[in-house]
Amino acid sequence: MLRAIICGLGWRRGIWGCAFSSWQPHQPPAGLLSATKVVSHWTAVFEEKGIPEARESSEYIVAHVLGAKTFQSLRPGLWTQPLTPWQLQCIQELSSYRLQRMPVQYILGEWDFQGLNLKMAPPVFIPRPETEELVEWVLEEVTKGPRMVGAEGGPLILEVGCGSGAISLSLLSRLPQSRVTAVDKGEAAICLTHENAQRLRLQDRIQIVPFDVTLVESWAHLLPWGPVDLVVSNPPYIFHQDMEKLAPEILRYEDPVALDGGEEGMDVITHILALAPQLLKDSGSVFLEVDPQHPELVGSWLQSQPDLSLHLVAVRRDFCGRPRFLHIRRSGPQRGSPVDAWPGRQPVRVPG
Amino acid sequence: MSTSGLFRFPAPLTRVCPVPWALRLCEKLPLLSPGTVATLVQAAGKKDRPALLSLDEHELEEQFVKGHGPGGQATNKTSNCVVLRHVPSGIVVKCHQTRSVDQNRKLARRILQEKVDVFYNGENSLVCREKREAEKRKQERKKRAKETLEKKKLLKEQWEASKNVPGEDCRF
Repeated sequence: MLRAIICGLGWRRGIWGCAFSSWQPHQPPAGLLSATKVVSHWTAVFEEKGIPEARESSEYIVAHVLGAKTFQSLRPGLWTQPLTPWQLQCIQELSSYRLQRMPVQYILGEWDFQGLNLKMAPPVFIPRPETEELVEWVLEEVTKGPRMVGAEGGPLILEVGCGSGAISLSLLSRLPQSRVTAVDKGEAAICLTHENAQRLRLQDRIQIVPFDVTLVESWAHLLPWGPVDLVVSNPPYIFHQDMEKLAPEILRYEDPVALDGGEEGMDVITHILALAPQLLKDSGSVFLEVDPQHPELVGSWLQSQPDLSLHLVAVRRDFCGRPRFLHIRRSGPQRGSPVDAWPGRQPVRVPG
Repeated sequence: MSTSGLFRFPAPLTRVCPVPWALRLCEKLPLLSPGTVATLVQAAGKKDRPALLSLDEHELEEQFVKGHGPGGQATNKTSNCVVLRHVPSGIVVKCHQTRSVDQNRKLARRILQEKVDVFYNGENSLVCREKREAEKRKQERKKRAKETLEKKKLLKEQWEASKNVPGEDCRF
């Protein structure tokens, strides 16, 4: 209501920065303003208020209002053209959210992942750039490894903790024969993945199921959708004691359940690995994104769980050189036992 | 089983964290005279466009603005600008065209590849040659358009002249 009043008065006056300055903090100086000048203005405001990535945030907001994804990709002519009062108002509004430390992706309501544009909405976890590399690795293994495309298509993929649907939808779009079962504990994530699947017209090849992987008694519900070729996940992997150190952008707006991995950050990881053998085909793979301290911890844990028949086959670094991704493979059925002995297999006891 | 034996580095991009070197943005490139320096890889083949001189990853230094902090889930950064430097020539490319670090890395390499080509091959570089060809095609189109216009004008004049019968009022 107040905003509508400010808008109305500002529009009729057609001038910025006069009598209503107390209603519109931080507005740029009066006069004709170009995109470049407005970016500089808000960069200075953000810097003064200690907002991280002051310039980048300002650039993304202005670019978004001008209809582009990045400032650099704007037609150069638009950098110097005066902005309309409406555009300035939009920028002001979006910038006020940034002053509240809202992540840019939530401010814009959308973000890109692996070339796909996805809707973003708090508190659903925002896909991180590292995770694009997880998808690249999966794609490499699918194309070079054993054939996963059969008469009915493939590969069949299970994603645990789908969030906005980033991983599932990017795999679906790059592997036209694949099918995905995407699960998440959070209702908002289920809704958002649905929405993104429809936006990208991939809804026919994905099923999205509310599911909590830490509830061992619910594992049986997933079995009808197996066996799968791949299990992929970017599970919550932050060490619980590190949660409080996170930036306000994360703490105030993203679901902590999507981040907190428990004492050693391993709670969800170990549940996924314990579940995997029941859902994977022979020689099926698990691909995980983890904390850099996890490759060793996961290696040891798997050795302590020989019944799982899972082996850590490779660790891959992210673009900053940190060990970030794990490839774990199921080594096939036990000697003498049938492949699909689902009903007879007991879930492995999981620590904690 | 030691984990070091399990590390597998992804080919072919090197993973270099923030390298402390001074940033130089070279917009104006010194053009060497044709015939000097590098060999151009000419892939004759079926394509009309010969291949650009390919970049050796070992000669590149890359910097991501996101090198700081724990990374992964613990960080939410949106700055995915890639700065790529070709060490032998000193050419630097800064790319923030897309929201993806990976895309920006690929684009930066493509832009750098063209700039390196211009640097070493001057007028013979692919970029310059394509520019000349495009300009040539444009001039030819202009010439044809002009000729067509003149023909039409001539035809019109002839038609108008044939309409005019002696004795009637007419404009010249």
